Amino acid sequence: MIEVHNLTKRYGGFVAVNHISFTARKGEIVGLLGPNGAGKTTTMRMLTGYLPPSEGSAKIAGYDIESDSMEARRNVGYMPERIPVYPDMTVHGYVKFWAELRGTPNAAARTDDILKRVQLYDRRSKLVRQLSKGMRQRLGLAQALVHNPAVIILDEPTIGIDPAQVIEVRETVRALGKDHTVLFSTHILSEAEQVCDRVLIINKGQIVAQGTPADLRAHMRGGSALYIEIIGANDEQIRTLIEKINGVQQMSKRGAGYVIDLKSGADVRAEISKRVSKAGYTLLEIRQERTTLEDVFLELTKSEEANRMGSPAGEST
Amino acid sequence: MSTWIVFRREIAHYFTSPFAYLIGFAILLVTGLFFTQDLVASFNTKPADAAVVPNTLSILMVVFAPLLTMRLLAEEKREGILELMLTAPVPDGSIVIGKFLGAWAYFSIILIITLTYQIILAAITQPDFGNTISAYLGIWLYGGATLGVGLVFSAFTENQIVAAFFSMVTLIVLWLADQAGQVIGSVEIARIVRQISLQGHFSTSFSAGIIRAEDIVFFSGIIVVMLFIAIRAVESNRWR
Repeated sequence: MIEVHNLTKRYGGFVAVNHISFTARKGEIVGLLGPNGAGKTTTMRMLTGYLPPSEGSAKIAGYDIESDSMEARRNVGYMPERIPVYPDMTVHGYVKFWAELRGTPNAAARTDDILKRVQLYDRRSKLVRQLSKGMRQRLGLAQALVHNPAVIILDEPTIGIDPAQVIEVRETVRALGKDHTVLFSTHILSEAEQVCDRVLIINKGQIVAQGTPADLRAHMRGGSALYIEIIGANDEQIRTLIEKINGVQQMSKRGAGYVIDLKSGADVRAEISKRVSKAGYTLLEIRQERTTLEDVFLELTKSEEANRMGSPAGEST
Repeated sequence: MSTWIVFRREIAHYFTSPFAYLIGFAILLVTGLFFTQDLVASFNTKPADAAVVPNTLSILMVVFAPLLTMRLLAEEKREGILELMLTAPVPDGSIVIGKFLGAWAYFSIILIITLTYQIILAAITQPDFGNTISAYLGIWLYGGATLGVGLVFSAFTENQIVAAFFSMVTLIVLWLADQAGQVIGSVEIARIVRQISLQGHFSTSFSAGIIRAEDIVFFSGIIVVMLFIAIRAVESNRWR
């Protein structure tokens, strides 16, 4: 549904999007995750046909965004970060305007359907300016869905609305994934984790990692990690004791305890417990650490930063 | 088709916006004052001028065309609507042309309302209808050209005030060129200056009851060129 190949956007010497490639299948919800200014919006603007790419190509529902721009645009629904409105139009009139502009047959009936779907039908004759922020967000969604596009592109749809509405929007996005391909940008990690089938982490215009949220987590640490707390021994003693265990990759201090990164598949909990008690120390706590997408994200964007600064990305205590 | 959709939305906007009503009101008020004055004068000093309303409008449009058009593209750009429109499967030109036609249609409606004055005139005297028709055709094209100038400046900025200011300055210069042409010593230069002025193609031809092809071509030409520039300006949003 979406095929992106080496897509690049340059503004003078500044590269906003740098050779991005990815694909999204039908019915897939793909999250573009990255800090502000990472190139998410620029990527989306290229896919919606607003900005021409400097290099590379992309296809929407099989239509090239440059050579077949009109067909590609017909198959995209776009909800920009800030919902553009005509304040003097009615809710129904506004959505119908976009339906007609995109050549939807039976625009009026289609508008009613979509307004019911986003729960704005009872406000169809209200003026757009009278809507609350959350309702405007739904209006933006209605506008993006009204021509029933194959691909829906949502730029930070949950920004600036209250938590209950955020949940609502997330649920709507999930529901959309049933019959549309959804590309969805966010800088909130937990949101990407909850909503998306696949996440692309983008930083400084490049995709630094991609995969399902679970994949990314696993890939990042190579395996799992343990947190342990031991008393009755000093730092050096504990380190010599633990680091000798087969399967331990490295350990680092965190608070009162240590985080141990394990090689994938290794389970050393029994071994640790045995060795600690044999040495006469006390094991206060041992638990498995779950890597969240947040860790992945921070690690990726941080090491990138560190590389740029020319200093090693080491953790020091 | 898409031009029609944009046009319809634009016309609807003019009729729901208090500001547009205010401009319509001002135009009708001022033309009404001049009409009454001319009518009073016609009772004892001179015959009634069939072109008094179009003549008044030719001055008023220097101020009111920028006010009617400043919103057209500047606001769309600032609100982000233009961005969304440019992702719709419609040619860039149809957006600009639809908006221009919307503004021109609103102006035409005001023009039609001023025909009331002609009805009043016909009821009390025998005006020269040929002259009236010529003057109305002239001011209709003249108005289109001034709206075109306003549209261009609206396309270049996000700020309505800036758009209105620059189009007013441009229209004043184009309008004054006629006056300048009348005082320049050299006949050749004066002719050239008058040729590029808006008034030069109206006050001595349409307004006097003369329909000349060159004036029609001049105003239509301005409209076409202004639309072309505005379309390029909208397109240029994609280059950034």
